[in-house]
Amino acid sequence: MRKLLEWLERETGLISAWGRFWTQPLPAGVGWGHIFGALTLLTLVVLFITGGALMFYYSPTPDQAYASVQYIEHYLPAGQFIRALHYWAARLIVPLIIIHILRVFFWGAYKRPRQMIWVTGVLLLLTVIGYGLTGYALPWDQKAYWGTVVRLKIAEGIPLIGQATATFLRGGDTVGAVTLMRFFVLHVFVLSVIVFLLVAWHVLQVRRMGVTPPGVPVNREEEVEKPQRLYPEHTARIAVGAVILTALLVWLSLNYPAPLEPRANPMDTAYKPHPDFYVLWLHELVAFFPSHLEFVGSFVLPTLLVILLLLVPFIERNPERQPRKRLTALTTGTVILLVIVGLNVKGMESLPEPEKLSPLEKQGQKLFVELKCYSCHGINGGGGPVGPDLGLGGKRDPEQVRSILRNPAAHNAHTVMPAYQLEPEKENALVAYIVSIGPNSKMPPVPPTEPEKPASHFEENWFVNHKFEVRKDPASCGDCHKPFFCQACHQNRRPSSHDAQWLKFHFGNAAERPEMCASCHSPDYCDSCHRVMRHDTQWLQQHGSKLAQFGEKMKWAGQTMSQMCYQCHTPRSCQGCHSGALPASHKVSDFLRDPQVGHGKVALKQGTASCNSCHQPQFCQSCHGLPMPHPEGWDSDHPQVGHKNPALCQRCHNFKDETCQTCHQAAPSSHTEDFRKEHPRRITDSGASCQVCHGRNACMDCHKLPMPHPGNWDEAHAKLGQQRGWKGYTGVKNMQKAQCANCHDIKYCNQCHQP
Amino acid sequence: MEQRLTRREWLATFVKALTALLAFVYGIPALVMLIVPAFRRQKVPWVKVGNASEFTSGEPKAVTLSYQRRDGWVIRTVRSTVYVVSTSDGSLKVLSNICTHASCAVRWERDRKAFFCPCHAGYFDASGKVMEGPPPRPLPEFPHKVEGGVLYVRLESV
Repeated sequence: MRKLLEWLERETGLISAWGRFWTQPLPAGVGWGHIFGALTLLTLVVLFITGGALMFYYSPTPDQAYASVQYIEHYLPAGQFIRALHYWAARLIVPLIIIHILRVFFWGAYKRPRQMIWVTGVLLLLTVIGYGLTGYALPWDQKAYWGTVVRLKIAEGIPLIGQATATFLRGGDTVGAVTLMRFFVLHVFVLSVIVFLLVAWHVLQVRRMGVTPPGVPVNREEEVEKPQRLYPEHTARIAVGAVILTALLVWLSLNYPAPLEPRANPMDTAYKPHPDFYVLWLHELVAFFPSHLEFVGSFVLPTLLVILLLLVPFIERNPERQPRKRLTALTTGTVILLVIVGLNVKGMESLPEPEKLSPLEKQGQKLFVELKCYSCHGINGGGGPVGPDLGLGGKRDPEQVRSILRNPAAHNAHTVMPAYQLEPEKENALVAYIVSIGPNSKMPPVPPTEPEKPASHFEENWFVNHKFEVRKDPASCGDCHKPFFCQACHQNRRPSSHDAQWLKFHFGNAAERPEMCASCHSPDYCDSCHRVMRHDTQWLQQHGSKLAQFGEKMKWAGQTMSQMCYQCHTPRSCQGCHSGALPASHKVSDFLRDPQVGHGKVALKQGTASCNSCHQPQFCQSCHGLPMPHPEGWDSDHPQVGHKNPALCQRCHNFKDETCQTCHQAAPSSHTEDFRKEHPRRITDSGASCQVCHGRNACMDCHKLPMPHPGNWDEAHAKLGQQRGWKGYTGVKNMQKAQCANCHDIKYCNQCHQP
Repeated sequence: MEQRLTRREWLATFVKALTALLAFVYGIPALVMLIVPAFRRQKVPWVKVGNASEFTSGEPKAVTLSYQRRDGWVIRTVRSTVYVVSTSDGSLKVLSNICTHASCAVRWERDRKAFFCPCHAGYFDASGKVMEGPPPRPLPEFPHKVEGGVLYVRLESV
């Protein structure tokens, strides 16, 4: 090792240069005030280390930048700490530089021959500000995006060069992928090269010209004693300062992690970027000028200030370094400083007051996060795109908020917001918080979802277009979302495919892409219908009774089960079997008439719903000629039908039935004692009314002839005679005696039959 | 003079110690952030295949799985196909559909009762063993578990 170092020294002289650098003598009076330059350098080194580590994981594209920052924050060990260190070091380096510059200014250390050290120092300040402006955009969160948009807009306001500069930085018309890459390269490469060159120049110049002895005029520096060295005397002070600075950085980083707002959303017009507090004086300056002169505040004055700062050593040529002897310079400097500080203080007044939440409202805020309200509602930006942003819309009425929470549909029939039935105290807290939300409220920090939302969910119009993604690969939605996730919205807003014809066609979709259905519906959803009518191998044997069962119990959107079948099948598909084949119940030997298993019994016992699964309701009537089963009030209505056509009743009923007998046991009032003699004249309706009790053949029993005689009796009775073997006059005589004499005497026959 | 020297030595030690402390405070977290994640094994998740009862028919059944795999900060949806085979003793086996010879996708040939690789006519039997053709090894099997009647598989890279 020693030999290697000796060889290096022989070849390059680096070792002794290194040694000479650290052992350089320092003048008396160099003390604690002189450590800020070194602390700035240390902070710069910290920024390089942490920035370098971050660069290993950062991806400068809009679709991945935010995800990679989240990855750093949540997945990497010490990732959050490193990012916070980078953030806080970047915050602290500006005040450190300013303290350093002020110290140099008040000590008069920039004077001959050290003018260029001052100039490089000012350039370094500008470079660091450049770092800040470019680094700001990199996390690609809301603040980064909108801050960048606003700054580039301000830059555009600069006359002549503004438009071109902004367009160059943006890399086009809009802030996007090209902008982010440009800012990234500026931040990690271009500015780093510049800062390296400037720091080298700055430090080597200090080394060459020595540290300014405080209070000594320019031409008497040679007389100052140099009793101490950089190492170890002054480095000890620097080390103490560095440890204090480090303690501050570590404490800040551990307690206040670097903020990360919601992912940049170019569509989110509700987001209000607030300027950081250290640039407020610039905003105040801009506000002094009318809008067409804005560039004077935003560009001309700051530029003049920078030029003034650069020219300080060339303007103040007074060789004195004692503050008392350079009152003009110090007063000017102090006034400018006070103006800037004053403007900043004034600017801070215009900052929105931070939210102050009561304990109840805080509890509500927690609920807001727990209930995932943020996934639909933003608060002045952030949040989901579904519901209205709660930061907008002015003061809310607590009672209305409460009623909307309980039943959003009553407020807006088309809402997709679920109803929340909360315990009273939780509800009160949430209502109090929602009412407290105003234009200055901020989205509470939202825990990252696991796994994080894929990039597609941040695309423009994702909400509108998600259905296409679902169609492409519905299973991938199911990886994160529970089946009922969709229904949270879709219970009120069904997918456009689910139109009036959907029931008819859903089978094809379900068979081809079952995962499509599964992306919204749980597996047992199909069962709610198909449990009863699962088309498995048993289905063919059972479908009749299943249909009957279903038809009795369930209704589907007012449809009976047979109508349900026709959603998929046509009536012809039933006829394919049923034109010849019959359901099992119909196959008993005498289904039509059997008193035990016949259709009447079945229909009476089970109701006609099962019949209706195949037959139209009018089917019964086509045979029965009567409304079947008998409608209500039939008891009082049936005599009418019975009188007109008792045969209809007799198809099923025997008049000796008990049912009939209960009413009809007594003879009707018309049957007086001499009714037997009188009855021919009393039969007014061709005997139909008699048949109600006596049956169709009651007349035959006595008369042995069709009674009353049918219409063609003239011819028919001759045939009857022939059939019974009565021929000729005797035949007529016999017939008359045997059959007709009951009613007619012989003269009646003689009207036609000549004796 | 001697006293002055000791002060200087003491200060030198002090500076060295503090420098070491600073290097430690800034260096260790940065190194941890770079080194540790590289050696962290990604947890292979159990992927749901379906109800275990669906696979008891005796025929190997192809199931296409879709799941999310984390690649650093990028989350990708990955699809792969596995064959679920029910063995004679009633237990299940989840086989890769990738032929061990040239990584073509095999398919179940019902007539031959074998997995057939169309690239070079390799045949595997229902348990994944090589029957004929060039494949050097049987079809890889994935670990699986049945929980509450649902079959899960862990698609470890094979």
